[in-house]
Amino acid sequence: MHFHMIIVAVFWFGFVDSRKIRGISSSYKRFFRERKSFLCIDGSKIIPFEQVNDDYCDCEDGSDEPGTSACPQGRFYCTNLGFRPHYIPSSRVNDGICDCCDASDEYNSHAHCQNACWNLGQRERAYVEGQMRTLDEGLQLKQQLIEEGVLLWREKQAQLRELQQVAEDLQTKLEERRSRKQEADRLKEQTPRPPEAGDGRLFRGQNSTVTGTFKLLDSNKDGSITVDEVQAKVALVHDEERVLSEDEAVALLGGDHQMDLTTFQHTLWDILTNGGRVKIKDTHGAPGVGEDPPLKVADREWEATNLKKVEEAYDTVNMEISDLREKLAIDYGPDWEFLFLNSQCYKLKVYEYTYTLCPFNQVTQQSTAGTEVSLGRHRERGRVSTGCQDPTEGTARPATMPAFSSFFFFCCEDLIYN
Amino acid sequence: MAPVLVLWLAMSLSGTWAVDKGNFKTCDQSAFCKRQRALKPGDSPYRALLETMELTNTRLTLQLINDNNKVRLLLELYRLQGNMTRVKINELKPLKPRFEVPDVLITEPSTEPLSLLSQDENGVVLSLGTESQRVIISARPFRLDIMEGPEVLMSLNSRGLLAFEHLRMRKDTQAEPEGEKKEEADPANQAEKEEEEKVDGMWEETFKSHSDSKPNGPSAISLDFSLPGVEHVYGIPEHADTLRLKTTDNGDPYRLYNLDVFQYELYNPMALYGAVPVMLAHKAQRTTGIFWLNAAETWVDISSNTAGKTVFGKMLDYVQGSSETPQTDVRWISESGIIDVFIMLGPTPKDVFSQYASLTGTQSFPPLAAVGYHQCRWNYNDQEDVASVDAGFDEHDIPYDYIWLDIEHTDGKRYFTWDSHKFASPKEMLQALEDKKRKMVAIVDPHIKVDSNYKIHNEIRNKGFYIKNKDGGDYEGWCWPGSAGYPDFTRPDMRAWWASMFAYDQYEGTAENLYTWNDMNEPSVFNGPEVTMHKDAVHGAWEHRDVHNLYGLYVQMATAEGQIQRSGGVERPFVLTRAFFAGSQRYGAVWTGDNAAEWDHLKVSIPMCLSLGLVGISFCGADVGGFFKSPSTELLVRWYQTGAYQPFFRAHAHLDTPRREPWLFGPENTALIRDVVRQRYTLLPYWYQQFYHAYRTGEPIMRPLWVEYPQDPATFALDDEFLIGKDLLVHPVTEEGARGVTAYLPGKDQVWFDVHTFQKHNGAQSLYIPVTMSSIPVFQRGGSIIPRKMRVRRSSSCMTHDPYTLYVALNLQRTAEGELYIDDGHTFNYEKKEFIHRRLSFAKNMLSSVNLATDAEFSTGSWIERIVILGASKPSKVTLKTADGQESQLEFDFDASMSVLTLRKPGVNAGLDWNVMLQ
Repeated sequence: MHFHMIIVAVFWFGFVDSRKIRGISSSYKRFFRERKSFLCIDGSKIIPFEQVNDDYCDCEDGSDEPGTSACPQGRFYCTNLGFRPHYIPSSRVNDGICDCCDASDEYNSHAHCQNACWNLGQRERAYVEGQMRTLDEGLQLKQQLIEEGVLLWREKQAQLRELQQVAEDLQTKLEERRSRKQEADRLKEQTPRPPEAGDGRLFRGQNSTVTGTFKLLDSNKDGSITVDEVQAKVALVHDEERVLSEDEAVALLGGDHQMDLTTFQHTLWDILTNGGRVKIKDTHGAPGVGEDPPLKVADREWEATNLKKVEEAYDTVNMEISDLREKLAIDYGPDWEFLFLNSQCYKLKVYEYTYTLCPFNQVTQQSTAGTEVSLGRHRERGRVSTGCQDPTEGTARPATMPAFSSFFFFCCEDLIYN
Repeated sequence: MAPVLVLWLAMSLSGTWAVDKGNFKTCDQSAFCKRQRALKPGDSPYRALLETMELTNTRLTLQLINDNNKVRLLLELYRLQGNMTRVKINELKPLKPRFEVPDVLITEPSTEPLSLLSQDENGVVLSLGTESQRVIISARPFRLDIMEGPEVLMSLNSRGLLAFEHLRMRKDTQAEPEGEKKEEADPANQAEKEEEEKVDGMWEETFKSHSDSKPNGPSAISLDFSLPGVEHVYGIPEHADTLRLKTTDNGDPYRLYNLDVFQYELYNPMALYGAVPVMLAHKAQRTTGIFWLNAAETWVDISSNTAGKTVFGKMLDYVQGSSETPQTDVRWISESGIIDVFIMLGPTPKDVFSQYASLTGTQSFPPLAAVGYHQCRWNYNDQEDVASVDAGFDEHDIPYDYIWLDIEHTDGKRYFTWDSHKFASPKEMLQALEDKKRKMVAIVDPHIKVDSNYKIHNEIRNKGFYIKNKDGGDYEGWCWPGSAGYPDFTRPDMRAWWASMFAYDQYEGTAENLYTWNDMNEPSVFNGPEVTMHKDAVHGAWEHRDVHNLYGLYVQMATAEGQIQRSGGVERPFVLTRAFFAGSQRYGAVWTGDNAAEWDHLKVSIPMCLSLGLVGISFCGADVGGFFKSPSTELLVRWYQTGAYQPFFRAHAHLDTPRREPWLFGPENTALIRDVVRQRYTLLPYWYQQFYHAYRTGEPIMRPLWVEYPQDPATFALDDEFLIGKDLLVHPVTEEGARGVTAYLPGKDQVWFDVHTFQKHNGAQSLYIPVTMSSIPVFQRGGSIIPRKMRVRRSSSCMTHDPYTLYVALNLQRTAEGELYIDDGHTFNYEKKEFIHRRLSFAKNMLSSVNLATDAEFSTGSWIERIVILGASKPSKVTLKTADGQESQLEFDFDASMSVLTLRKPGVNAGLDWNVMLQ
C-alpha cells in the first residue's frame, strides 16, 4: 500500500513537471497560470508567454526568467524533493557547478550532477533526530544542573545566613570585649605610673629588652637557653614558688631542649610579655617589673588579646560574607543552571597554545614555552572581558587564534536554548 | 611586504609615517652619480677618428678618443628594422670585458643597410633609409645628430656629457718600478692618479655601515640626449610620480635601481621595486623613444629650457619672436656595463610601441581568469579561513577568480612547502576551489632559508647555485626566513632547475589551479645596503653591480617557465612580480608594491600604471585598499571602483590591518563593491580582447589620452584619467568626499557616451560630472563597439559559454567599429590559431560581423544575446541575416529619451558571420 502511494506520487509529479515552469516554487505558480501572455510580477510589462524562460531577460524584475540565467537579479527555485527547497541566484543556473541537490540548476551544462537530495535528506533527518536526542539529553542535563544549582544556591544562602548569624554573635561579643578593655584601661589610667609607661610600653619593651631578657635567661652566656636555665629563671605567675617541671620547661622552649635568640623572640618572649601564665623570677630588670602589679598587667593584656582575637574573627566572617555575596550576585542564569561552572576550569589546545577558561573568573593563554598571558577577567553581568578581540592592540594572541570567549558564549547559548 | 623588522626601529624613531629616506642613497651618496653629475655641459673631450670608420652593409664602426686621457672607445651604429637606430659604445680595448645585458632582447635585432651620403674631415652623413632621415656624425667634438629633412629629431653628446670610465689597474697596488716608469712616461696616467686621489669612492665606497669593495674600480658611463621641440617626456618607471616626468635640475635625478622601499613616498624620483630604462618623448608631430639597455644602477637627469617658464612667459617669447624652440635634454648615467642605446624614431606613439615590442617582446597573454578579480591579504590564515572567505563571496554574490596566500602559508618561510598545521591538506583546499572554478596563488620568494633540513636549500647549495659573496662563499642575507641564500637566477642552469621545482611531483600539494607570486625579488636583503644585495656579490664572471636590475626579471622568467613546463607546455602561466626590468612584460603581471591606504596612493596608482604601460608592461595594478594602514570605507570603495578599471585587479592588505573582505563594511558598501566588481566581469570580453591586442602589438592596455590624441596638447599631462584600449575613458573618483569630477573628453568631432546612463557628450571639452558614492565616470567612445557578458557569475570560468551583449556607440557619422576575440581562455592553443577573431562594424544602418582571422578556427557555444545601439534613431524594422542566408525579424525596444535602441535576442552564434539591418 505504502509502495503504491510512492508510485502514484512519482507519476503525479512527473505529470506536473511536464507543464511546469522551470525554477519557480508552487506559491509562484499563480503568476504563470495564464498561458498566452505574461505580466512581469512587478507589473511593468506584458510579454508573450513564449518569452517566459526563453533565455532572454524581458522583465526588469527578472520574473520572466525564473528557470534561466538570463536576468541579473533573478533567482532560481530548487525544489530539492526529499531535502530542503531553496533559492539560488540565477547566475548559478547552468554555470557548470551543481548547486541544487536535485541537479535541476544544471539542466544544460557540462556538469554531471547527481540527484543527491534523498541522501542529503536522510542525512539531515538523521542529524535532526540526533539533534532531538541531544536536545532531550541536554534538557535533562539542564534540569539536573538546575536542581543541583538550586540546591547549591540554597546551600550558599544557608551558609550566608549562618555566617550572618555568626557575625551578629561576634559583634555582640566584640562590643562586650571592647567595654571590658575600656574598663581595664580606665583602671590602669587611675594607677599612678612613670611618665614613660603606658600602652606603648609593651611594644617598646619588646624592642629594647628582648636581647636583655634573653641574656638574663641565658645564665651561662652560650647563646642558647636550656631547660635548666628556664627552670632557674622562670616561674608561674600564679605560683611563683614552684619550680617548673622539665616538661613544662620544654613546652616553653617550644618542644625543644634549647632555644636561640631568634626563636626566643618569636615564642617565649611573646609568652612572657603577653602576660598570663609565666614570668621571670627575681624580676629586677625584667619586663613588667615594678611598674604595675603583675596581676593587673596580665589582666589588661588578657583583655587586649581577647579583643584582638574577636576583632580578627569578626573581620574574617565579614570577608567571607562579602565573598559569598559577590558570588551570589553573579547572574548564573534564570534557574542557576550555570552555577556549577563557578569552580570549573576548561583547557583548549590550539597549536602551541593552551587556553584555560575558568568561567566567571578568567581566561588565560599559555604557550608551550611556559609564558602565561591573561586574556581577560570576568566582569559584571556574566561577561568575560577580553583584551584580545582586536589583534592590532598588540596582545600576545596571534591573529590566527580563535577568540576563546566567543566559543564560550556559543556554548552558553547552546545550553540556554537547548 | 617589506622589511618590517629591520626598518621598524627607524620608523618608530622618525615618528612619521613615510619612508626613511636616509636608508636610500641620494645621487651625492652614490659615488659614480656624484662624479658624473659633477661634469657640466660643455665641449666634449671625445673626438671621432674618422679614418677608423668602417661601413659594412649592416653597421658602421668608428673609434672615439678622449683627448684628455687618450683612451679609445669603439662606436657601433646600426640601422634597425622598423625605424630604429642602435648606438653602442664600448672601450676599444677594455682591461677585461664589460657587461652587456643578455636575455632582454627577444632576438638579435634585424638590421637595414646604411649608406654614406657624404664625408669630409668634419664628419660623415649617413642615410637612414628612404624618409630623408640622416645621421650626422661630427668629429670634433664627437656628436651624433639624427635628422629628418631639416629637422633635428635627436642629438647625442650635443652637450658633451659622454663619459666612459675605462677599466684600469688600481694605482696604489702597482708597486713595481716598471709601473712607476710607465706612469712618468704617461702624463695622462699621472692626471688620472691625481683624479683618483681627489675623488673618493672610485675603489671603495661606504654607505651607512655597508662597504662596497669595488674590485674593478670606476666603470661608470654617461651620455646626453637632446630632444628639440619636446616638452613632454614619459616612462622610466618605476617611480611614484606624475605621468609626465619632471625636470631634475633642482633635485636628484630619477633613479633606476630595484629596491624594496618600505612605505615609499609619493611624487619624488626615488627608485622603487622595478626599473625599465625606456623614455618616451612626445610632441604633437612626433613621438620618439630612448631605450638605454643597461642593468646597473642608473640615474636619469632631465632638464628643459621651458621648464619654469609660465604660460605667460612662453607667450612673451612668442610675441617677442624669441627664436628659442622648446627643448628637453636628458642624460643617462649608469654605474657599469656599456652604452647600448636604441633610438626609436616613431613617428607615432603606436610606432614607438611596436618598435620597442620588436626589441623586448610584448605583454604575455594571460589566462582569462587572471583578468578577473583577485582576493589577497597577508595572510589567509588556514584552510578554514580560505574556505570561509570563499564562501563569503558566494554568500554576498560577488565574483572572484583567485584567492591568494602570502608567506605565512609556508612551513617557516620555506617556499615550495606548506605549514603542516594550517594547510594540512592543500590539495583538498585546491580541489574545493576548483569545484567552484576558482584558483589560488601562493607566494614563492627568491630568498631561500639556510637550513640543512630544507630540500630546496640543500639542492641549491650542493649545485653551487647560490650567488657568491666577494670572498667566494655563498652570499647570505637576512630576509623573512632569517638567514637566507639567493639563487643565482642569471644562470640558465639555475633557472632550469628552479622551473623544474614547480612540477606537481616536486612542489607537493599543488594542482593545476595553483599559480605563483614572486615577491622580494629586487632582491630584498633586510640587512644589505639599501635593503638589497651588496654590489660586490658575485654572479659567475659578473658582479651583482652589473646585473642588479635584471635579477627580478629572471626570477619571474624562471617561475613562469616552471608553470608552463608542469603542464607540458599546454597551460598559460600566471606569475605576479614586484621587481621588473625591460622585457618583464613577457612573463606576467606586476604590481606597484607596498602602497598605503591613503588617497594620494590611490591617485598615484594611475600614473604609475600608465608609465608602466608606456614601456610595454600592461598587466599592472596597485593593491586595492592600500597595503599599509587601514582605509576608510569611502577610500576602500573608491579604490575598488578605480581598481576595477585597471588591468590587474587585486585587493591586498598588511598582516597588521583589520580584515577588509568586501562584505565587512555594511550592506550598503558591500552593494557598492559588488556592483563595481560585477562591472569588471561584464567587461571581461573587452579586457581580454585588449590583452590579446597588447600581446599582438605591444600597445598599452591602460593608456594615457595623448597616445590616442597625440596632437591635442590638452591631453599631454593628464594622469587623473585614462583610456582602456581606445574605446573606454575612465576618470576614477580619487578625492575624499568628492561631489564631482572634471573629466576631459578628447577629440574634436567626437562623442562619448556615459556607460551607465547612455548620455551623450561632445568631445574636446572638460566636463563636470556630479558623483555619488556609486559613481564611476566611464565613457564609451562614439564609433566603437564593445562586447560584454551581462550574466555575471561566481568566476570568469563559469561565464565561458555565456552570450554576448554588444554595445554599439555611434559617432557623428553614424558608424562604429569593434572586435570580438574568443578562445579557450587558458591554453597556448591560440598560438596554433585556435581562436575566433571577428570585426564588428556598423555602417549605413547595418551591423555586421566578419572574420578577421580566416586561418584561425575555434568553436564557441556563446551567442549574441542583445545589441544595444547608443545614439540610434528608431527603425521601423530590424532584420537579422545569418551566414546561411536566412532572414528573420528582430524585436526591439527604443528609448527615445536617450536614443538607445535595444535589439532583442539575435541568438546567432558569436563565431559566425551575420548582419543586422535597421530599416
